[in-house]
Amino acid sequence: MGRILTFEIFRYNPLDPRSMPHMQTFSLEEQRSMTLFVALNQIREHQDATLQFDFCCRAGICGSCGMVINGRPGLACHTQTSDLPERITLHPLPVFKLLGDLSVDTGTWFRNVGKKIESWLHTNKTFDPTAQEERMDNELATQIFELDRCIECGCCVAACGTALMRKDFIGATSINRMARFYIDPRDQRTPKDFYDLIGDDNGVFGCMGLLACDDICPKQIPLQDQLGIMRRMVSIESVRGWLPEGIRKRLGGGCGCGRHK
Amino acid sequence: MTDRNVPDARRNRLDFWQAASGAVLALFVCVHLLLEGTVVLSASLTNAIAWLLEATFVAQISAPIIVLLVVFHFYIAARKMPFRANELGIFVKHSRTLREPDTCLWLVQVFTAIIILLGVFFHVYTVMIDLPISVSRSAERMTSGWLPFYVIFLPCVVLHTGIGIYRLAVKYGYCTRATRQVWRKRIWIVMTCYLVLGFLAMTRVWFHG
Repeated sequence: MGRILTFEIFRYNPLDPRSMPHMQTFSLEEQRSMTLFVALNQIREHQDATLQFDFCCRAGICGSCGMVINGRPGLACHTQTSDLPERITLHPLPVFKLLGDLSVDTGTWFRNVGKKIESWLHTNKTFDPTAQEERMDNELATQIFELDRCIECGCCVAACGTALMRKDFIGATSINRMARFYIDPRDQRTPKDFYDLIGDDNGVFGCMGLLACDDICPKQIPLQDQLGIMRRMVSIESVRGWLPEGIRKRLGGGCGCGRHK
Repeated sequence: MTDRNVPDARRNRLDFWQAASGAVLALFVCVHLLLEGTVVLSASLTNAIAWLLEATFVAQISAPIIVLLVVFHFYIAARKMPFRANELGIFVKHSRTLREPDTCLWLVQVFTAIIILLGVFFHVYTVMIDLPISVSRSAERMTSGWLPFYVIFLPCVVLHTGIGIYRLAVKYGYCTRATRQVWRKRIWIVMTCYLVLGFLAMTRVWFHG
């Protein structure tokens, strides 16, 4: 017989005026290789059909099942109950709009921030659907792919102390997104363009280097390195015309991005 | 490119000035504590260094500049601090539940920053109105009730400087994910060395009195 797990789950339905935020306790027998995703489905199926939480792929790809597990954001489908103590507390991800219980709307947040940082490839070239795709160095393609692995689960945003305090902060996921375009040779934006987009306290300068985003990311995307690369580039751009060019270029060198536009 | 609100250049240079002023202050603290630490070797050596710095007016000129730089650094960095009650509450609760060392260290930086801002005025004022600087005069101050102040002030300065250097390296990409553990370990070793040196110097000055 497996352990008896006790789940304390945040319950609140913002659409129901009678609903009050509270914690509800459920008990469940642990099974082999049980994930939180399986446990939550069993609770919903056998104990309380009104329990709200999101899931889709069950494999850490869709980013729907992000929640705060014993105080730390993570994916329910990625989390084995055997890695947790018998008492498990679940909260919805903060920062995002609460839909109900453990379900939040990350989509609207990501759409808004995506528009703000212009999260798409900028080029003046006209797309020719009949032409062969431009060739790219394999190493560079791998680098871009590495940053493109973000599933927009929102865990890095929920783990960020700055994002919790300042609602306009764009978060590590957005800075990573900009870093992805920065190294893409098809994107014709200059450091000045990136500076205009993320060079303020809601952007890359708002990051306080707390690094919980890097530690929490379920996809292990190297967020810390991207924050460093982008901040240095944008910061040096911010003092263009103020600092002698020689010093500016020296400060900007060796940031490890592999490409300086 | 689409039309967009171009950020205010002056305001956005603040991040650069915060980093630059922090780096200069960190360098100053390291040199200052090393020079102070020479008292462990010999009180005469410390007195000779103090005499040299005063004779060349380095001490008299740098003291007010450092105070101004501390105020400038605090003023710029304060825009990140959780001054509103709900911000501080949110951050403290978050750091407790998240259990992430870097998130907790930021709180240490915030609290030590406030102590340093207040302490630096007292420290510089009491030293500069009682020139020349010497081990005997430092001992007099220690034995006349200033010891508790320095017992609190020294760790605050060392912690704030050490964590500040680490965070500066993180923010500007010198400390990467691959080297983070090494950076952390080295910063803690250096901070411990400076703390030991500082307390040894204090002990030496105390018994000199």
